Amino acid sequence: MTFLNLVVYATAIIFVVAILARAIRIAKMPVHVRWELYPVPHEKGRAHYGGSRLEEVDWWTKPIEKDHLGELKVMIPEILFLKGVWEHNKKLWTGSFPLHFGLYLLMGNMALLTLSAVLQIFGVEIAVLPTLITNIALAGCVIGAIGSVIMLGLRMFSSDLSKFSTPSHFFNILMLGAIYVTGLVWVMDSGFAADSMKLYSGILTFSATPSLSVIAYWHLGFSLFFIFYLPFTHMTHFFTKYFTYHSVRWEDEPNRPGDPIQDKINPSLAQIVTWSAPHVGADGKKNWVDIATSPMPELQKESK
Amino acid sequence: MSLHKIKSLSIKDFSKPSAQLAHVAPEDLYPLPAPYDKLEDQPGWKQLSEDSRNKFEATLDDTLVVNVPKPESKEEEDRLVKLFISGLEKLFSKENNWTFLQPLTLSMEHCARCQTCIDDCPIYEASGRNDVYRPTYRSEILRRLYYKYVKGGNSWWKKFNNGDIELNWTLISRLIELSYRCTLCRRCAQSCPIGVDNGQITHDLRKLFSSEMGIAPKDLHEKGTVQQLEVGSSTGMNSLVVKDNVEFIDEDMEENTGIKVESIWDKEGADVLLLHNAGEFLAWPDNPGAFALILQEAGISWTMSSELMGYDGVNYGLFYDDVQFARIALKHFEIAKKLKVKKIVMGECGHESKALAAIGDRLGQNIPREAAMTLMEEIVFSGKLDLDPSRNDFPVTLHDPCNLVRSMGVVEPQRRVLRHIAPQFREMHPHGVRNYCCGGGSGWAIMSHNNFPDWRVQVSGRKKFEQILNAFSDVDPGPDTKKYVCAPCSNCKGQIRDIFDYYGAKQKSGLYYAGLVELIVNAMTKVKPGFINWDMM
Repeated sequence: MTFLNLVVYATAIIFVVAILARAIRIAKMPVHVRWELYPVPHEKGRAHYGGSRLEEVDWWTKPIEKDHLGELKVMIPEILFLKGVWEHNKKLWTGSFPLHFGLYLLMGNMALLTLSAVLQIFGVEIAVLPTLITNIALAGCVIGAIGSVIMLGLRMFSSDLSKFSTPSHFFNILMLGAIYVTGLVWVMDSGFAADSMKLYSGILTFSATPSLSVIAYWHLGFSLFFIFYLPFTHMTHFFTKYFTYHSVRWEDEPNRPGDPIQDKINPSLAQIVTWSAPHVGADGKKNWVDIATSPMPELQKESK
Repeated sequence: MSLHKIKSLSIKDFSKPSAQLAHVAPEDLYPLPAPYDKLEDQPGWKQLSEDSRNKFEATLDDTLVVNVPKPESKEEEDRLVKLFISGLEKLFSKENNWTFLQPLTLSMEHCARCQTCIDDCPIYEASGRNDVYRPTYRSEILRRLYYKYVKGGNSWWKKFNNGDIELNWTLISRLIELSYRCTLCRRCAQSCPIGVDNGQITHDLRKLFSSEMGIAPKDLHEKGTVQQLEVGSSTGMNSLVVKDNVEFIDEDMEENTGIKVESIWDKEGADVLLLHNAGEFLAWPDNPGAFALILQEAGISWTMSSELMGYDGVNYGLFYDDVQFARIALKHFEIAKKLKVKKIVMGECGHESKALAAIGDRLGQNIPREAAMTLMEEIVFSGKLDLDPSRNDFPVTLHDPCNLVRSMGVVEPQRRVLRHIAPQFREMHPHGVRNYCCGGGSGWAIMSHNNFPDWRVQVSGRKKFEQILNAFSDVDPGPDTKKYVCAPCSNCKGQIRDIFDYYGAKQKSGLYYAGLVELIVNAMTKVKPGFINWDMM
């Protein structure tokens, strides 16, 4: 094993643990009140115009039919092509789409490299793989680099974006740009496919990684730093989007007699309220139910 | 082209003391179609009085909603700042804010600050794209405060990732007002690719100010939820007054339709408990009258309740305070249980419908509820009423109340009815779940202090007025052709009334507004022709 092996393993562990920790923290938050936003794509036969089951008389007596394929039809173009940005902010899309799509291609390439390493363990060789790996990496780096330049320009010169950008926005774009540019230089090297396949094989089999060109080390350094750093930033939207869509925007579970949602809410109703305004009437002992069902405290003029 | 240069604002400007942070000049406003396109013909915009500016914190913009008195001393300011920080912490605690903690945290931590949502905000657009009204501006201020005061971690790292802002009383007093420069229509949330909801952030900001600091607009709190809990209705009417009013409404209905109408009170075991926004009894009595007639003629077993709060479906808690919201919603559920009705039907009121059908759904009461639109559709297509659409042969368009449509997905029932009974029905564009707010959402339509009515007509209602005018662009634009805006929501009707009054739209363009049930009654062959009486509208 080499130092590079250790860095890769450490980075992967930090990434997975940090992502899991954030996902668990969000998932464990209490079930909130309904706050869906239409259109909700699993509304069978109604999603295309934004309708819901609440359009039916006595809806609670009827079976709830969910169209999960409808959710996929929305999510796939949203994730792959940033459809929402295309529809609402075309200027941003010109930079944001290539920036993201370059990353998708590099991630696809990582999957191919992992596949090639696994196949190598079983002594299987697919002739087309090196060419495929090279071309996908090339496309990813070119598209991603273009996206980085456009996004950097927008963040710097578009007044809409510049006043809302923090130092990390510029840093993130520069970091991604560095990954794409160093990747592009490495891909131009005729040994790219062979070296990267050997690298993945070494990492997957816990054996020594090959000696690489200087630019390859720069590319790996930027990439590993980005993977290590990403879980601690707002860029975790790549997976928290699951929660914003499925747990909020499309979350429409009704609470009819016998529906399981009530059991999930009961613990929240038992919590002690500590809001300070006099009209709330919190005394350090009353829980949510007590507060909501007891008469409003005699109102003196609340301090303003 | 704007003559006045709109001042560009940074986030940090928000805590820098100044006489007034933002200003919208009449020439900045998004232009309206003719004949409302000439600035010199407009009624003008009342300025905030010097007295108001001296008494209250009014350094945000040209108007004032909350009327926060200026602190009398530095100690008082410091106390309020401390109270704000404690409220901020509670806002992100599951004990106090389980109701919205997950959506709020997700919106705080994952916004890319890409500004994709801004063009979906009718207020931002109408104002001539004034920075202070960006849906993202107030959210970004709260986000920076959240990272600074609530989230742990290294302060350099937090500033690097999320920027910084100075917390002082200037910021807080402006943020209080700014939380009432958004109608919570959530149109911006639809366009966020990540799922960030700036409307919800605004809602929770209002909650912090109310639940921790006891600060909320008088119309929503003292005259709203408090009065409703104490007297029974935010209108101030007790049950005797309401019953008296309804008696008069029934008499008027008989006179206007030729059919004897008897509204029913406190009937145990009825199929339907009809819960109106009590504002209808006072401002638009034809609406509850039309409901009564339709239900009676369709043979529906129904009742209203004369119990405290049982005759007013309003729940302004929805807009600013979860505790007040829960108190009122639970009372509505309790009344329905006591009457042993099969379901609650919410009248033509968007926020009431959302409060009871969606948001109140998880308060553990399990009383079936539905919006009036669905019941009306069933009645209209059941054949129980003999309808003659030619009686409604005038141009009709439909306003989609945000709470009913965007937040509940009740989109088509009202349209199917209109297509059936109104031959000249036409849509606004955009419509349905992509509609524009009337500009009076989240309780604004009842707020009439200072010069706020001018602001909400000129700025927040501008896009809706443009939509209404455009919907009738294919017919004679003058007053001789009567045009009907069907707005099945009390709050929206209040705002549309104010817009039309402000511009003299009835006189200039023949624009009128009312609900859906009035059109149904107008089409009933059993009813004397002319239930919709333009002269009385």
